[in-house]
Amino acid sequence: MNNAVKGFLAGVTAIALVMTPACRSKNTKVKDEQVHVQPDTAPTVTIPPHDTAERVQPSEDFVKPSAEPTVTADVLPSNTEELNRYLQDKGLIRDAFFVYADATLSSDAQAALTTSASWLKSNSKYNLLVEGHCDERGTEQYNLALGDKRAQQAKDYLVASGVDASRIRTVSYGEERPFDPGHDEGAWKQNRRAHLVLVGK
Amino acid sequence: MKRSLIAVALAFIAATLAAQSQIITTVDPEQAAKVMKIAIPFPELTPPASSANAAPVASEVIHAPFYSVLTRDIAASGVFAIAPIPPNVPASTNLAKQIGADFALKMTVWTERNAQTNADDIVVEARLFDTTGGQPFGKRYRGVVASLSLMAHSLTTDIVRAIYGKPGIFLSRIAFASDRTGNWEIWLMDWDGQNQRQITQHGALSILPSWAPDNERMVYTSFARGTSDMYIVNRRGGGRIRVPTNLALNTSATFSPVGNDIAFVGSVNGNPDIYLIKDDGTNVRRLTTSATIESTPEWSPNGRQISFTSGRSGTPQIYVMDAEGTNVRRISFEGEWNDDAAWSPDGEQLAYTSRVNGRFQIRIMNLVNGQSRIIAGEGSNEQPAWSPDGRWIAFQSNRSGKWQLYRMRIDGNDIQQLTSSGENKEPDWSKKIE
Repeated sequence: MNNAVKGFLAGVTAIALVMTPACRSKNTKVKDEQVHVQPDTAPTVTIPPHDTAERVQPSEDFVKPSAEPTVTADVLPSNTEELNRYLQDKGLIRDAFFVYADATLSSDAQAALTTSASWLKSNSKYNLLVEGHCDERGTEQYNLALGDKRAQQAKDYLVASGVDASRIRTVSYGEERPFDPGHDEGAWKQNRRAHLVLVGK
Repeated sequence: MKRSLIAVALAFIAATLAAQSQIITTVDPEQAAKVMKIAIPFPELTPPASSANAAPVASEVIHAPFYSVLTRDIAASGVFAIAPIPPNVPASTNLAKQIGADFALKMTVWTERNAQTNADDIVVEARLFDTTGGQPFGKRYRGVVASLSLMAHSLTTDIVRAIYGKPGIFLSRIAFASDRTGNWEIWLMDWDGQNQRQITQHGALSILPSWAPDNERMVYTSFARGTSDMYIVNRRGGGRIRVPTNLALNTSATFSPVGNDIAFVGSVNGNPDIYLIKDDGTNVRRLTTSATIESTPEWSPNGRQISFTSGRSGTPQIYVMDAEGTNVRRISFEGEWNDDAAWSPDGEQLAYTSRVNGRFQIRIMNLVNGQSRIIAGEGSNEQPAWSPDGRWIAFQSNRSGKWQLYRMRIDGNDIQQLTSSGENKEPDWSKKIE
């Protein structure tokens, strides 16, 4: 949960950082020249400095009016991290866990989500981010898609349990953000989940 | 004075011989019969008398960044084998004949004051001699000290083109993701793993870079806004734009080799499918419609087909469809998890990640006859990327205990580790040779 909040803040910071003026970008391609040379009349090719020598700043982010959900950092309560930890510790908000290579909700996962839905329904001032996570035993690209399916399965269940769909956003981290860095079934089990994070409203 | 010059000269020779004894000259089996021997003595360091403002350069300035880079390129070229040379014999037709080589490469290196920058440029004059007294190649290169390796790659690319007809790939580059700064960001390196430089500065998970066919831009996925978004950036880190799709995921994005379309994985309501979008963010088209997971699109080199991974059979397998989304057929049948397909530049082979006995390995499938072979290695080996000449594959392996990038010939030989700082993954080799 901490990672998600940090991710938002880092994202907002990153966008702010790139709001700097664009600089020129010079072409550093080496020009082709003739091949056969006579002594002292050889054609000279100027090799410009390496790319790193003239790295330019990223230009302004491309922001287009769109229907994409935007989350701003300034409305996040300062104690969101603590609140998430507290609710998870108390079992009021519970993550859904999955079997290997699958996005189907088990009865345990459904029970966890039912519990979470009842808290969310009685605390409507919070929105929810559902993160889809996978263990490391798959491939990265496919697991990003699998994590999306897991997050959506959890969201669909919460909505069916009465939580307003507009309060829930999903994101997939695939196998990029494991909860347990280990390489055994104990770790993998922890890492196959839909992780529920309150994000304020 | 004279004695010190001799000492310096001896030091050169020792360094030269030491450098050459470390070079393992390797060639493609198919090329072996055609490989030509080339003698490459250390460059001469006496400036030509006719050059104004010229001064000698110290051998140690050019040894690692120029001479070592150059001899490694030539040794890996598959066109030349480096011939052992006697000490202290200048490169010439006579030297080539004396040692039974086909060519001798004479190089002279000096510094020259650049009136515009008021700094010392390095000048390299290269002449290739054959055994008939002919000079099939000659050229001068000029640049600052920091561009010495680029000068070496330029020279080796030119020499291979002059003799072989096709340029070497030594100016190609490999994009990848690295977490060495504490966050996964997009990085870039030369083909030999040198000059690793950071391209993105999101300070947030940024992964899966893929080159545009012009070698100028890359498309990738970043979680900088808390969602996973598609971005395009040029190879110097500038010109960054976000490509809004109104879809989730926006992963595995890859430029069409022929137009301005980008194929990617988009998702609506938890249903990941293959989509196309123009690189200006318009004209989103959905290519697959199954309710299962579709991922990892990759264009065939002529842009007419797209390979992808689908779970529609119950496990992730490789499929190919026409670029309009029609004519879908399954390609992989062995292994219960296949992903990361990449087309060889001639379009005849697919390299992909295939689980064998519980570990991921690189598999190469011949699309003409349907035969495949595993290139087995220690650890898990994933995300193959072809070199633009189709002779090499870059990939990621955790054989060292961490994810690092490696390069090997397509027969699995000559494995070289390219990265070591932090963890590194998802290589993509620039598409054009130069």
